[in-house]
Amino acid sequence: MCDYNKVERKDRDMGEVILTMKGIDKSFPGVHALDHVDLEIRKGEVHALMGENGAGKSTLMKVLTGIYSKDSGSITYEGKEVEFTSPRDAQDAGIVIVHQELNMLNHLTVAQNIFIGREIMNGKLINDAKMNEEAAKLFRQLNIDIDPKEKMGNLTVGKQQMCEIAKAISHEAKVIIFDEPSAALTEAEIEELFKIIRDLRDKQLGIVYISHRMDEIKVITDRVTVMRDGSYVGTLITKDCTKDDIINMMVGRVIYEDPKTESNVAPDAPVVLKVEHLNAGKMVQDVSFELHKGEILGFSGLMGAGRTETARALFGADPKESGDIYVNGKKVDIKSPMDAVKCGIGYLSEDRKRYGIVVAKSVAENSTMASMENFMNGIFINKKKENEIAKKYVNDLKTKTPGVDQLVVNLSGGNQQKVVIAKWLVRNCDILIFDEPTRGIDVGAKSEIYHLMNELVAEGKSIIMISSEMTEILRMSDRIVVMCEGKKTGEIDISEATQENIMHAATRRE
Amino acid sequence: MENFKNSPFVKKVGFNRIVLCGVLLVMYIAFAIISPTFLSYSRILSALNYAYFLGFLALGVTFVIATGGIDFSIGPVMFCAALIAGRLLTKDGIPTGAALLVCVLVGLVFGIWNGFLVAYMGLPSFISSMASMMLAKGIGSVFTQTQTISWPQSSDASGWYRSLVRMKIGNTDVPTGLLILLVIAVICAIILNNTKAGRYILCLGSNKEAVRLSGVNVKKWEMLAYVICGTLAGVAAIAYVGSYTTVQPGLGDTFNNDAIASCVMGGTSMAGGVASIGGSIIGVLIVSLLQEGILAMGFQKDYQYVITGIIVLLAVYADVRSKKRKN
Repeated sequence: MCDYNKVERKDRDMGEVILTMKGIDKSFPGVHALDHVDLEIRKGEVHALMGENGAGKSTLMKVLTGIYSKDSGSITYEGKEVEFTSPRDAQDAGIVIVHQELNMLNHLTVAQNIFIGREIMNGKLINDAKMNEEAAKLFRQLNIDIDPKEKMGNLTVGKQQMCEIAKAISHEAKVIIFDEPSAALTEAEIEELFKIIRDLRDKQLGIVYISHRMDEIKVITDRVTVMRDGSYVGTLITKDCTKDDIINMMVGRVIYEDPKTESNVAPDAPVVLKVEHLNAGKMVQDVSFELHKGEILGFSGLMGAGRTETARALFGADPKESGDIYVNGKKVDIKSPMDAVKCGIGYLSEDRKRYGIVVAKSVAENSTMASMENFMNGIFINKKKENEIAKKYVNDLKTKTPGVDQLVVNLSGGNQQKVVIAKWLVRNCDILIFDEPTRGIDVGAKSEIYHLMNELVAEGKSIIMISSEMTEILRMSDRIVVMCEGKKTGEIDISEATQENIMHAATRRE
Repeated sequence: MENFKNSPFVKKVGFNRIVLCGVLLVMYIAFAIISPTFLSYSRILSALNYAYFLGFLALGVTFVIATGGIDFSIGPVMFCAALIAGRLLTKDGIPTGAALLVCVLVGLVFGIWNGFLVAYMGLPSFISSMASMMLAKGIGSVFTQTQTISWPQSSDASGWYRSLVRMKIGNTDVPTGLLILLVIAVICAIILNNTKAGRYILCLGSNKEAVRLSGVNVKKWEMLAYVICGTLAGVAAIAYVGSYTTVQPGLGDTFNNDAIASCVMGGTSMAGGVASIGGSIIGVLIVSLLQEGILAMGFQKDYQYVITGIIVLLAVYADVRSKKRKN
């Protein structure tokens, strides 16, 4: 591999160095998470931080913001060596992180969330009116349309993300770290986000942008630092490198992402799942569709289109008002996830931390969660058999873990996702609902998951894939259902699908 | 030290629990130095009296805490069971065996009731078990017309139940209660760690929604934890009367604290998902020893609370710290 450090640096419209991390080293029991990593951020630049799952990007940022303490190395910020002991510390100095997982209190209002910990006071009382006013000012400045008095829990994930950004900006930040800000956003929202980021960049802020989306990196960033397996690989000037350069540095192999051109499903493939006139609240109105054997049925749509709600109602996770579900031609009554699993349906949630994994339990225990009865020896759990099957799926899915007895909390996001997938594979479900299966997952693991999905349908399983990523929808689906505001607004065969006709259906408001 | 901490044995048992055993030992030695009567067999047996019924309460509530819930009714349920069964035995003349069965049944009924309220009705266990506590106290009082109930003495023909706690073989008293407690503790440990029930109870304590979405009948398993807890409170009633014979209506809630404190000391997390049966038993032994030791030294019972409180705080603090260090 060539020496990427030798790539010449251009100081075009970037200002002076504001932040330097040098030789950062951090170990956890059994894991060398960061191995002498370097990072340099200049004023007025958007600096991409890239790397596969578990490459150490989040850990590096946690060291920077004082969540973790470093074992060795130095951090120089505005010319002085610093060591932050808490996120609050870093925040006060002007380094703010916009988290991938939103840290919002759902029962508080938008304004209360933004000013949490530094409430505007009126004597001894909290001055809500003033906070609403200030928040409204912030939103106007960012050109975002959110009511500061709205309860956070009522906002979509995309809007919550915008609040998180507003909150970061309100801290008079000099360095803002965006940890996969676009993962939950729609195309339009991403455009909005980029406008905000460019604006911040022009105000001479240093911006760290962590993302797995190659297209975005090319569009928004000035430089790219790549990490792999906890080590620093190199820094490139974005404009002078190609996608393949970056991907090569990340994984050491080239990945091609071509859209699918025609359906792989035989025309006479039987219908394994038929949903008729499904209704569940405002988000699921009269939704009907069919899923064929060996098919990947893509569910496209904007945030809040009701795709997840449809999946959850179908799976019995939320109550449904009406509608019929047929599995293999037989009408079934699904009232709870238990019923759905009995019918051979598995559901991979978009929010794996909340709905997918039990973080305090081991990889093995999570893997067999949905199929305990196959691992019993009389009334006792056959732990040997359990460990064997868990090991098999760790190998098959290339899950990076020191062992199957490792607690899931210690794995990175992508590897946690693989554990959830293993859970449903161990159960041997015929119908799998993958809700945003690659959210927050790097390119390498992503292509592994794609590969796996293709293998599964080749084996005769059927997949419903909900995705907000257009490239993912076009690359994986055999057929695409498009939803908008709780209604199905389109059904497109992959041979006819284009970004345009999907977007058209996704915005077809009635 | 690090080597010791990382040895497979220590990892399996848990470092904090080994420290806790050390605390137990040090406490015993300290009491023995202050009051040499602690070296006598009879004194140890007397300290164990408190451990029997408390042990069953703690074992049961360990399951509930593992689900992330709490049961404040165990002490009063134990008394309620002892009162109802005692009245039937002494006033209505049912056989001793039947009375013991009634104890367990009363516990079982309360367990089912608590489990139903929490798992199926969706009430917070904190509130519902508080209500059950009052119910148990009230029912016990009403059933006995607020009279103290004295179970038969060992010398009576119907007093054979006391040998379940202490049996005279030849000239020595054998602590049968301890044997029974340990056997049931082993069974509980097996249930918690090696059966589907225990697995799901721990998992749902950690992330109930994820377990539900895995197609698991979470209501059933959550309820089971309360049923186990209630039933063991019924068993505790037998241990209590076996040790002390007299039961007063309207009491019992102080034992909740002792039982829950024992669990927490032993490393069971109030947040759910993490539980240790062995830890609970060590916790029970510490609390019982304190109880006996403080009284033996001529202090008021209040001092026992002070010391128990401090030990609970230290144990939880050590646990929190070791978890933080892991991160």
